[in-house]
Amino acid sequence: MATIVQGFRGVRRILAGVRCKAGSELGLNLRSQTHTAAQLKNTEPPYKDFVESTEEYKYVERLIPSTRIPDPPKHQHPTPSGWRPPRDPPPALPYMIRRSRMHNVPVYTDITHGNRHMTIIRKIEGDIWALENEVKEFLTQLSGKTVITQVNEISRKLRIKGYFDKELKEWLMDKGF
Amino acid sequence: MLPLLRPLLRRSGSLLCSALSSERDHASPLQPLDTSVEKRPVTDSVLPIIRKCSIPLPSHLIAGQAWLESLLHYDDERLGLVDLHPDVFTVPPRIDILHQVITWQRNFKRISHARVKTRAEVRGGGRKPWPQKGSGRARHGSIRSPLWKGGGVAHGPRGPTSYYYMLPMKVRALGLKVALTTKLAQDNFHVIDSLEVPTPDPQYLKDLARYRHWGDSVLIVGINNDFPENILQATSKLRTITLIPAIGLNVYSILKHQTLVLTLDTVDFLEEKLLWQDNRFSPLYPFKMPYSDFP
Repeated sequence: MATIVQGFRGVRRILAGVRCKAGSELGLNLRSQTHTAAQLKNTEPPYKDFVESTEEYKYVERLIPSTRIPDPPKHQHPTPSGWRPPRDPPPALPYMIRRSRMHNVPVYTDITHGNRHMTIIRKIEGDIWALENEVKEFLTQLSGKTVITQVNEISRKLRIKGYFDKELKEWLMDKGF
Repeated sequence: MLPLLRPLLRRSGSLLCSALSSERDHASPLQPLDTSVEKRPVTDSVLPIIRKCSIPLPSHLIAGQAWLESLLHYDDERLGLVDLHPDVFTVPPRIDILHQVITWQRNFKRISHARVKTRAEVRGGGRKPWPQKGSGRARHGSIRSPLWKGGGVAHGPRGPTSYYYMLPMKVRALGLKVALTTKLAQDNFHVIDSLEVPTPDPQYLKDLARYRHWGDSVLIVGINNDFPENILQATSKLRTITLIPAIGLNVYSILKHQTLVLTLDTVDFLEEKLLWQDNRFSPLYPFKMPYSDFP
Protein backbone atom coordinates (compact mmCIF):
# COMPACT_ATOMS: atom_id res chain seq x y z
CA MET A 1 0.00 0.00 0.00
CA ALA A 2 2.78 2.35 0.92
CA THR A 3 4.48 1.84 -2.45
CA ILE A 4 1.28 2.76 -4.29
CA VAL A 5 0.94 5.91 -2.26
CA GLN A 6 4.58 6.75 -2.91
CA GLY A 7 4.02 6.24 -6.63
CA PHE A 8 1.14 8.63 -6.58
CA ARG A 9 3.30 11.12 -4.77
CA GLY A 10 6.00 10.77 -7.40
CA VAL A 11 3.63 11.44 -10.28
CA ARG A 12 1.67 14.29 -8.76
CA ARG A 13 3.66 16.07 -6.15
CA ILE A 14 1.34 19.04 -6.13
CA LEU A 15 -1.48 17.06 -4.69
CA ALA A 16 0.72 15.09 -2.38
CA GLY A 17 -1.18 15.91 0.76
CA VAL A 18 -4.52 15.15 -0.74
CA ARG A 19 -3.17 11.97 -2.30
CA CYS A 20 -1.85 10.83 1.03
CA LYS A 21 -5.26 11.17 2.54
CA ALA A 22 -6.84 9.34 -0.37
CA GLY A 23 -4.24 6.61 -0.10
CA SER A 24 -5.01 6.02 3.49
CA GLU A 25 -8.70 5.79 2.62
CA LEU A 26 -7.95 3.30 -0.13
CA GLY A 27 -5.97 1.22 2.30
CA LEU A 28 -8.85 1.22 4.72
CA ASN A 29 -11.25 0.10 2.00
CA LEU A 30 -8.98 -2.71 0.89
CA ARG A 31 -8.56 -3.91 4.42
CA SER A 32 -12.29 -3.97 5.00
CA GLN A 33 -12.81 -5.90 1.73
CA THR A 34 -10.32 -8.58 2.62
CA HIS A 35 -11.89 -8.77 6.00
CA THR A 36 -15.38 -9.47 4.55
CA ALA A 37 -14.02 -12.03 2.08
CA ALA A 38 -12.35 -13.92 4.85
CA GLN A 39 -15.56 -13.78 6.81
CA LEU A 40 -17.50 -15.27 3.86
CA LYS A 41 -14.98 -18.02 3.39
CA ASN A 42 -15.12 -18.98 7.02
CA THR A 43 -18.85 -18.92 7.55
CA GLU A 44 -20.92 -22.08 7.14
CA PRO A 45 -24.10 -21.99 4.95
CA PRO A 46 -26.65 -20.04 6.97
CA TYR A 47 -29.35 -22.74 6.90
CA LYS A 48 -28.36 -25.85 8.76
CA ASP A 49 -31.43 -27.68 9.94
CA PHE A 50 -32.95 -28.93 6.67
CA VAL A 51 -32.99 -32.31 4.88
CA GLU A 52 -32.69 -32.50 1.09
CA SER A 53 -35.43 -34.67 -0.36
CA THR A 54 -36.20 -35.67 -3.95
CA GLU A 55 -39.39 -37.43 -2.93
CA GLU A 56 -41.66 -34.39 -3.18
CA TYR A 57 -40.48 -33.54 -6.69
CA LYS A 58 -43.37 -35.64 -8.00
CA TYR A 59 -45.72 -32.86 -6.96
CA VAL A 60 -43.72 -30.50 -9.16
CA GLU A 61 -43.78 -32.97 -12.02
CA ARG A 62 -47.52 -33.13 -11.70
CA LEU A 63 -47.71 -29.46 -12.55
CA ILE A 64 -45.58 -29.62 -15.70
CA PRO A 65 -48.10 -29.50 -18.56
CA SER A 66 -48.34 -31.87 -21.50
CA THR A 67 -47.99 -30.88 -25.14
CA ARG A 68 -50.21 -33.57 -26.59
CA ILE A 69 -53.95 -33.24 -26.90
CA PRO A 70 -55.47 -36.18 -25.02
CA ASP A 71 -57.99 -38.58 -26.50
CA PRO A 72 -61.57 -37.74 -25.56
CA PRO A 73 -62.88 -39.71 -22.58
CA LYS A 74 -65.41 -42.48 -23.07
CA HIS A 75 -68.48 -40.70 -21.74
CA GLN A 76 -72.13 -41.01 -22.63
CA HIS A 77 -72.69 -39.83 -26.19
CA PRO A 78 -73.90 -37.38 -27.29
CA THR A 79 -72.52 -35.11 -24.62
CA PRO A 80 -74.54 -32.10 -23.42
CA SER A 81 -72.64 -29.96 -25.91
CA GLY A 82 -73.73 -32.19 -28.79
CA TRP A 83 -70.28 -33.63 -29.40
CA ARG A 84 -70.04 -37.14 -30.74
CA PRO A 85 -66.98 -39.15 -31.68
CA PRO A 86 -66.54 -40.14 -35.32
CA ARG A 87 -67.93 -43.52 -36.28
CA ASP A 88 -65.47 -46.38 -36.21
CA PRO A 89 -64.95 -47.73 -38.86
CA PRO A 90 -65.45 -44.58 -40.92
CA PRO A 91 -68.36 -44.54 -43.40
CA ALA A 92 -67.81 -46.16 -46.78
CA LEU A 93 -67.90 -43.03 -48.90
CA PRO A 94 -65.57 -41.85 -51.67
CA TYR A 95 -64.41 -39.03 -49.44
CA MET A 96 -63.26 -38.75 -45.85
CA ILE A 97 -63.27 -35.84 -43.45
CA ARG A 98 -61.03 -36.16 -40.44
CA ARG A 99 -61.60 -34.45 -37.14
CA SER A 100 -59.54 -31.44 -36.19
CA ARG A 101 -56.83 -31.80 -33.57
CA MET A 102 -59.34 -30.80 -30.92
CA HIS A 103 -61.67 -33.61 -32.11
CA ASN A 104 -64.21 -31.28 -33.67
CA VAL A 105 -65.72 -31.44 -37.15
CA PRO A 106 -63.57 -29.10 -39.28
CA VAL A 107 -66.31 -26.75 -40.46
CA TYR A 108 -65.64 -23.06 -40.01
CA THR A 109 -67.13 -19.73 -41.00
CA ASP A 110 -65.25 -16.99 -42.74
CA ILE A 111 -66.09 -13.38 -43.51
CA THR A 112 -64.38 -10.97 -45.85
CA HIS A 113 -65.28 -7.48 -47.06
CA GLY A 114 -67.55 -7.12 -44.06
CA ASN A 115 -70.46 -8.97 -45.63
CA ARG A 116 -69.14 -11.89 -47.70
CA HIS A 117 -70.24 -14.78 -45.52
CA MET A 118 -68.73 -18.18 -46.21
CA THR A 119 -68.54 -21.63 -44.70
CA ILE A 120 -65.38 -23.71 -45.10
CA ILE A 121 -65.01 -27.47 -44.78
CA ARG A 122 -61.40 -28.49 -44.20
CA LYS A 123 -59.40 -31.72 -43.95
CA ILE A 124 -61.16 -33.43 -46.85
CA GLU A 125 -59.49 -36.54 -48.22
CA GLY A 126 -60.47 -38.55 -51.27
CA ASP A 127 -63.02 -37.43 -53.84
CA ILE A 128 -63.67 -33.81 -52.96
CA TRP A 129 -65.98 -33.36 -55.97
CA ALA A 130 -68.34 -36.07 -54.71
CA LEU A 131 -68.54 -34.22 -51.41
CA GLU A 132 -69.26 -30.99 -53.24
CA ASN A 133 -72.18 -32.57 -55.10
CA GLU A 134 -73.66 -33.98 -51.90
CA VAL A 135 -73.21 -30.71 -50.03
CA LYS A 136 -74.89 -28.84 -52.88
CA GLU A 137 -77.79 -31.23 -52.90
CA PHE A 138 -78.22 -31.06 -49.14
CA LEU A 139 -78.01 -27.29 -48.90
CA THR A 140 -80.27 -26.71 -51.90
CA GLN A 141 -82.96 -28.79 -50.24
CA LEU A 142 -82.36 -26.97 -46.97
CA SER A 143 -82.37 -23.40 -48.21
CA GLY A 144 -84.48 -23.77 -51.35
CA LYS A 145 -81.86 -21.91 -53.41
CA THR A 146 -78.88 -23.05 -55.43
CA VAL A 147 -75.83 -22.66 -53.19
CA ILE A 148 -72.54 -21.48 -54.60
CA THR A 149 -69.54 -23.61 -53.77
CA GLN A 150 -65.85 -23.46 -54.53
CA VAL A 151 -63.47 -26.42 -54.42
CA ASN A 152 -59.78 -26.03 -53.65
CA GLU A 153 -58.21 -29.33 -54.60
CA ILE A 154 -54.71 -28.29 -53.57
CA SER A 155 -55.44 -27.31 -50.00
CA ARG A 156 -58.38 -29.77 -49.81
CA LYS A 157 -61.01 -27.24 -48.82
CA LEU A 158 -64.61 -26.68 -49.80
CA ARG A 159 -65.97 -23.15 -49.56
CA ILE A 160 -69.70 -22.46 -49.52
CA LYS A 161 -71.38 -19.09 -49.86
CA GLY A 162 -73.45 -18.30 -46.78
CA TYR A 163 -73.32 -19.42 -43.17
CA PHE A 164 -74.26 -23.11 -42.97
CA ASP A 165 -71.78 -24.25 -40.34
CA LYS A 166 -74.25 -25.60 -37.79
CA GLU A 167 -76.24 -27.49 -40.41
CA LEU A 168 -73.13 -28.90 -42.06
CA LYS A 169 -71.56 -29.97 -38.77
CA GLU A 170 -74.70 -31.84 -37.82
CA TRP A 171 -74.98 -33.34 -41.31
CA LEU A 172 -71.38 -34.52 -41.33
CA MET A 173 -71.68 -35.97 -37.82
CA ASP A 174 -74.78 -37.88 -38.90
CA LYS A 175 -72.82 -39.26 -41.83
CA GLY A 176 -70.28 -40.59 -39.36
CA PHE A 177 -67.36 -38.17 -39.67
CA MET B 1 -46.30 -50.34 -56.03
CA LEU B 2 -43.93 -49.13 -58.73
CA PRO B 3 -41.05 -48.35 -56.40
CA LEU B 4 -41.28 -51.79 -54.94
CA LEU B 5 -41.20 -53.52 -58.28
CA ARG B 6 -38.10 -51.86 -59.60
CA PRO B 7 -35.37 -53.90 -57.89
CA LEU B 8 -37.24 -57.13 -58.58
CA LEU B 9 -37.40 -56.34 -62.23
CA ARG B 10 -33.76 -55.46 -62.47
CA ARG B 11 -32.80 -58.66 -60.74
CA SER B 12 -34.80 -60.64 -63.28
CA GLY B 13 -32.56 -59.28 -65.99
CA SER B 14 -34.73 -56.72 -67.73
CA LEU B 15 -33.39 -53.29 -67.04
CA LEU B 16 -36.70 -51.57 -67.10
CA CYS B 17 -37.58 -48.00 -66.43
CA SER B 18 -40.72 -47.25 -64.56
CA ALA B 19 -42.72 -44.29 -65.70
CA LEU B 20 -41.92 -42.38 -62.54
CA SER B 21 -38.18 -42.70 -62.77
CA SER B 22 -37.69 -42.56 -66.51
CA GLU B 23 -35.88 -39.25 -66.48
CA ARG B 24 -33.46 -40.63 -63.94
CA ASP B 25 -32.50 -43.82 -65.68
CA HIS B 26 -31.70 -42.46 -69.08
CA ALA B 27 -28.22 -43.93 -68.91
CA SER B 28 -29.71 -47.40 -69.25
CA PRO B 29 -31.26 -48.57 -72.52
CA LEU B 30 -34.86 -47.46 -72.44
CA GLN B 31 -37.27 -50.23 -73.18
CA PRO B 32 -41.01 -49.93 -73.57
CA LEU B 33 -42.97 -50.75 -70.45
CA ASP B 34 -44.00 -54.36 -70.43
CA THR B 35 -47.43 -54.24 -68.90
CA SER B 36 -47.61 -57.95 -68.17
CA VAL B 37 -44.50 -57.75 -66.04
CA GLU B 38 -45.72 -54.51 -64.49
CA LYS B 39 -48.95 -56.03 -63.24
CA ARG B 40 -47.27 -58.98 -61.57
CA PRO B 41 -48.14 -58.85 -57.87
CA VAL B 42 -45.37 -58.43 -55.39
CA THR B 43 -45.17 -61.43 -53.12
CA ASP B 44 -45.14 -59.80 -49.72
CA SER B 45 -45.39 -63.01 -47.79
CA VAL B 46 -41.88 -64.14 -48.65
CA LEU B 47 -40.25 -61.01 -47.39
CA PRO B 48 -40.33 -60.08 -43.75
CA ILE B 49 -41.72 -56.69 -42.93
CA ILE B 50 -38.81 -55.33 -40.97
CA ARG B 51 -40.58 -52.31 -39.58
CA LYS B 52 -44.15 -51.66 -38.51
CA CYS B 53 -45.28 -48.15 -37.60
CA SER B 54 -45.12 -47.76 -33.85
CA ILE B 55 -47.63 -44.91 -33.94
CA PRO B 56 -51.10 -46.25 -34.85
CA LEU B 57 -52.39 -45.47 -38.33
CA PRO B 58 -55.77 -43.85 -38.95
CA SER B 59 -58.14 -46.64 -39.89
CA HIS B 60 -58.96 -45.38 -43.38
CA LEU B 61 -55.35 -45.14 -44.55
CA ILE B 62 -52.78 -47.77 -45.39
CA ALA B 63 -49.08 -47.47 -44.74
CA GLY B 64 -46.67 -46.57 -47.49
CA GLN B 65 -43.92 -49.05 -48.14
CA ALA B 66 -40.28 -48.99 -49.10
CA TRP B 67 -37.59 -51.62 -49.45
CA LEU B 68 -35.04 -51.90 -46.73
CA GLU B 69 -31.60 -51.68 -48.27
CA SER B 70 -28.05 -51.83 -47.05
CA LEU B 71 -24.86 -50.06 -48.03
CA LEU B 72 -22.71 -53.11 -47.33
CA HIS B 73 -23.12 -54.85 -50.67
CA TYR B 74 -24.19 -53.73 -54.09
CA ASP B 75 -27.04 -56.22 -54.20
CA ASP B 76 -28.45 -55.70 -50.71
CA GLU B 77 -31.43 -53.92 -52.15
CA ARG B 78 -34.38 -55.69 -50.58
CA LEU B 79 -33.68 -57.02 -47.14
CA GLY B 80 -37.27 -56.47 -46.12
CA LEU B 81 -40.15 -54.05 -46.24
CA VAL B 82 -40.51 -50.90 -44.22
CA ASP B 83 -43.91 -49.52 -43.36
CA LEU B 84 -44.08 -45.74 -43.50
CA HIS B 85 -46.73 -43.75 -41.70
CA PRO B 86 -49.17 -42.27 -44.24
CA ASP B 87 -49.53 -38.99 -42.35
CA VAL B 88 -45.83 -38.33 -42.85
CA PHE B 89 -44.91 -40.07 -46.09
CA THR B 90 -48.19 -39.93 -48.04
CA VAL B 91 -49.71 -36.50 -47.53
CA PRO B 92 -51.43 -34.39 -50.22
CA PRO B 93 -48.72 -32.80 -52.37
CA ARG B 94 -48.75 -29.14 -51.40
CA ILE B 95 -46.30 -27.55 -53.81
CA ASP B 96 -47.30 -24.13 -52.51
CA ILE B 97 -46.07 -25.14 -49.07
CA LEU B 98 -42.77 -26.36 -50.54
CA HIS B 99 -42.35 -22.99 -52.21
CA GLN B 100 -43.12 -21.13 -49.01
CA VAL B 101 -40.63 -23.15 -47.00
CA ILE B 102 -37.86 -22.88 -49.57
CA THR B 103 -38.37 -19.15 -49.95
CA TRP B 104 -38.21 -18.84 -46.20
CA GLN B 105 -35.06 -20.95 -45.96
CA ARG B 106 -33.32 -18.83 -48.57
CA ASN B 107 -34.43 -15.52 -47.15
CA PHE B 108 -34.61 -15.63 -43.40
CA LYS B 109 -30.86 -15.67 -42.93
CA ARG B 110 -30.19 -13.13 -45.64
CA ILE B 111 -28.63 -9.76 -44.92
CA SER B 112 -28.58 -7.39 -47.86
CA HIS B 113 -25.61 -5.06 -47.77
CA ALA B 114 -26.76 -2.91 -50.69
CA ARG B 115 -26.33 0.71 -49.68
CA VAL B 116 -26.16 3.95 -51.64
CA LYS B 117 -25.42 7.52 -50.64
CA THR B 118 -28.13 10.08 -50.18
CA ARG B 119 -27.72 13.73 -51.15
CA ALA B 120 -26.55 14.39 -47.63
CA GLU B 121 -23.75 11.84 -47.82
CA VAL B 122 -22.34 12.70 -51.27
CA ARG B 123 -19.38 15.03 -50.89
CA GLY B 124 -19.99 18.71 -51.44
CA GLY B 125 -23.16 20.40 -52.54
CA GLY B 126 -23.51 22.75 -49.64
CA ARG B 127 -23.53 25.87 -51.74
CA LYS B 128 -26.36 27.10 -53.94
CA PRO B 129 -24.92 26.70 -57.47
CA TRP B 130 -26.40 29.93 -58.84
CA PRO B 131 -28.84 32.56 -57.58
CA GLN B 132 -32.47 31.70 -57.46
CA LYS B 133 -33.55 34.37 -59.95
CA GLY B 134 -32.17 36.29 -62.88
CA SER B 135 -29.88 33.75 -64.53
CA GLY B 136 -32.50 32.23 -66.81
CA ARG B 137 -31.56 28.77 -65.58
CA ALA B 138 -33.61 26.34 -63.57
CA ARG B 139 -33.60 26.89 -59.84
CA HIS B 140 -31.31 24.57 -57.87
CA GLY B 141 -30.17 24.53 -54.30
CA SER B 142 -27.44 21.86 -54.39
CA ILE B 143 -25.27 20.16 -56.99
CA ARG B 144 -25.85 16.82 -55.16
CA SER B 145 -29.62 16.84 -55.53
CA PRO B 146 -31.03 13.53 -56.92
CA LEU B 147 -31.87 15.39 -60.14
CA TRP B 148 -28.20 16.04 -60.81
CA LYS B 149 -25.67 13.76 -62.43
CA GLY B 150 -23.35 12.68 -59.66
CA GLY B 151 -25.95 13.56 -57.08
CA GLY B 152 -27.33 11.42 -54.30
CA VAL B 153 -29.86 8.63 -54.83
CA ALA B 154 -33.44 9.15 -53.74
CA HIS B 155 -35.11 6.15 -52.05
CA GLY B 156 -32.17 3.85 -52.70
CA PRO B 157 -31.29 0.75 -50.65
CA ARG B 158 -30.06 1.64 -47.19
CA GLY B 159 -28.44 -1.55 -46.03
CA PRO B 160 -27.66 -3.66 -44.17
CA THR B 161 -31.25 -4.88 -44.30
CA SER B 162 -32.45 -8.02 -42.54
CA TYR B 163 -34.87 -10.29 -44.37
CA TYR B 164 -35.59 -12.34 -41.27
CA TYR B 165 -39.04 -13.77 -40.79
CA MET B 166 -40.36 -17.00 -39.40
CA LEU B 167 -42.90 -19.35 -40.93
CA PRO B 168 -45.33 -20.95 -38.51
CA MET B 169 -44.00 -24.20 -37.09
CA LYS B 170 -46.93 -26.15 -38.51
CA VAL B 171 -46.14 -24.91 -42.01
CA ARG B 172 -42.49 -25.86 -41.64
CA ALA B 173 -43.46 -29.33 -40.43
CA LEU B 174 -45.92 -29.73 -43.28
CA GLY B 175 -43.18 -28.71 -45.69
CA LEU B 176 -40.99 -31.56 -44.46
CA LYS B 177 -43.86 -34.02 -44.80
CA VAL B 178 -44.60 -32.89 -48.34
CA ALA B 179 -40.93 -33.09 -49.29
CA LEU B 180 -40.65 -36.63 -47.93
CA THR B 181 -43.89 -37.56 -49.71
CA THR B 182 -42.59 -36.18 -52.98
CA LYS B 183 -39.38 -38.17 -52.76
CA LEU B 184 -41.27 -41.36 -51.96
CA ALA B 185 -43.80 -40.86 -54.75
CA GLN B 186 -41.09 -40.14 -57.29
CA ASP B 187 -39.12 -43.25 -56.32
CA ASN B 188 -36.21 -41.23 -55.00
CA PHE B 189 -36.61 -42.41 -51.43
CA HIS B 190 -34.60 -45.24 -49.90
CA VAL B 191 -34.34 -46.71 -46.43
CA ILE B 192 -31.14 -48.33 -45.23
CA ASP B 193 -30.56 -50.39 -42.11
CA SER B 194 -27.39 -48.67 -40.96
CA LEU B 195 -24.63 -46.38 -42.13
CA GLU B 196 -21.99 -49.09 -42.18
CA VAL B 197 -19.95 -49.25 -45.36
CA PRO B 198 -17.14 -51.78 -45.92
CA THR B 199 -14.50 -49.27 -46.96
CA PRO B 200 -13.67 -45.57 -46.48
CA ASP B 201 -13.09 -45.28 -50.21
CA PRO B 202 -15.36 -42.61 -51.75
CA GLN B 203 -15.35 -44.49 -55.03
CA TYR B 204 -17.31 -47.32 -53.40
CA LEU B 205 -20.19 -45.00 -52.52
CA LYS B 206 -20.11 -43.46 -55.97
CA ASP B 207 -20.23 -46.85 -57.62
CA LEU B 208 -23.01 -47.96 -55.29
CA ALA B 209 -25.10 -44.89 -56.11
CA ARG B 210 -24.50 -45.46 -59.79
CA TYR B 211 -25.33 -49.15 -59.56
CA ARG B 212 -28.59 -48.45 -57.77
CA HIS B 213 -29.54 -45.56 -60.08
CA TRP B 214 -29.55 -43.06 -57.25
CA GLY B 215 -28.91 -40.22 -59.67
CA ASP B 216 -26.50 -37.33 -59.52
CA SER B 217 -26.76 -36.39 -55.87
CA VAL B 218 -27.62 -38.32 -52.74
CA LEU B 219 -28.56 -37.05 -49.30
CA ILE B 220 -27.88 -39.63 -46.61
CA VAL B 221 -29.47 -38.98 -43.24
CA GLY B 222 -28.38 -40.66 -40.03
CA ILE B 223 -29.86 -40.29 -36.59
CA ASN B 224 -27.06 -38.83 -34.49
CA ASN B 225 -23.79 -37.12 -35.03
CA ASP B 226 -21.77 -40.24 -34.14
CA PHE B 227 -21.49 -41.59 -37.65
CA PRO B 228 -19.26 -44.58 -38.42
CA GLU B 229 -15.73 -43.63 -39.41
CA ASN B 230 -15.89 -45.24 -42.85
CA ILE B 231 -18.85 -43.32 -44.17
CA LEU B 232 -17.58 -40.09 -42.62
CA GLN B 233 -14.30 -40.42 -44.48
CA ALA B 234 -15.98 -41.47 -47.70
CA THR B 235 -18.50 -38.65 -47.79
CA SER B 236 -16.15 -35.93 -46.60
CA LYS B 237 -14.37 -36.03 -49.94
CA LEU B 238 -17.51 -36.33 -52.05
CA ARG B 239 -19.43 -33.32 -53.27
CA THR B 240 -22.46 -35.15 -54.60
CA ILE B 241 -23.12 -37.44 -51.66
CA THR B 242 -23.93 -35.61 -48.46
CA LEU B 243 -24.26 -37.01 -44.97
CA ILE B 244 -26.29 -35.09 -42.40
CA PRO B 245 -27.86 -35.88 -39.02
CA ALA B 246 -31.63 -36.16 -38.83
CA ILE B 247 -31.94 -33.00 -36.78
CA GLY B 248 -30.55 -31.06 -39.75
CA LEU B 249 -32.94 -32.48 -42.32
CA ASN B 250 -34.61 -29.67 -44.21
CA VAL B 251 -36.77 -29.10 -47.27
CA TYR B 252 -34.15 -27.24 -49.24
CA SER B 253 -31.58 -30.02 -48.93
CA ILE B 254 -34.16 -32.70 -49.70
CA LEU B 255 -35.10 -31.00 -52.93
CA LYS B 256 -31.54 -30.02 -53.77
CA HIS B 257 -30.47 -33.64 -53.80
CA GLN B 258 -31.98 -36.11 -56.19
CA THR B 259 -32.17 -39.09 -53.88
CA LEU B 260 -32.97 -39.19 -50.20
CA VAL B 261 -31.60 -42.07 -48.14
CA LEU B 262 -32.78 -42.47 -44.54
CA THR B 263 -31.73 -44.95 -41.92
CA LEU B 264 -34.39 -46.88 -40.03
CA ASP B 265 -33.73 -44.86 -36.87
CA THR B 266 -34.23 -41.66 -38.81
CA VAL B 267 -37.60 -42.86 -40.06
CA ASP B 268 -38.66 -43.50 -36.45
CA PHE B 269 -37.33 -40.12 -35.38
CA LEU B 270 -39.09 -38.24 -38.18
CA GLU B 271 -42.39 -40.00 -37.61
CA GLU B 272 -42.35 -39.22 -33.92
CA LYS B 273 -41.40 -35.59 -34.39
CA LEU B 274 -43.70 -34.85 -37.31
CA LEU B 275 -46.75 -36.69 -36.01
CA TRP B 276 -46.41 -34.84 -32.74
CA GLN B 277 -47.15 -31.69 -34.72
CA ASP B 278 -50.54 -33.13 -35.67
CA ASN B 279 -51.90 -33.46 -32.17
CA ARG B 280 -50.13 -30.90 -30.08
CA PHE B 281 -51.50 -27.91 -28.26
CA SER B 282 -50.44 -24.41 -29.14
CA PRO B 283 -47.47 -23.67 -26.91
CA LEU B 284 -48.47 -22.56 -23.45
CA TYR B 285 -44.96 -21.18 -23.05
CA PRO B 286 -41.98 -21.67 -25.35
CA PHE B 287 -41.22 -25.27 -26.25
CA LYS B 288 -37.62 -24.94 -25.10
CA MET B 289 -38.94 -24.79 -21.54
CA PRO B 290 -39.94 -28.01 -19.76
CA TYR B 291 -42.97 -30.03 -20.86
CA SER B 292 -43.82 -33.48 -19.60
CA ASP B 293 -43.97 -35.20 -23.01
CA PHE B 294 -42.04 -33.12 -25.49
CA PRO B 295 -40.74 -35.57 -28.09
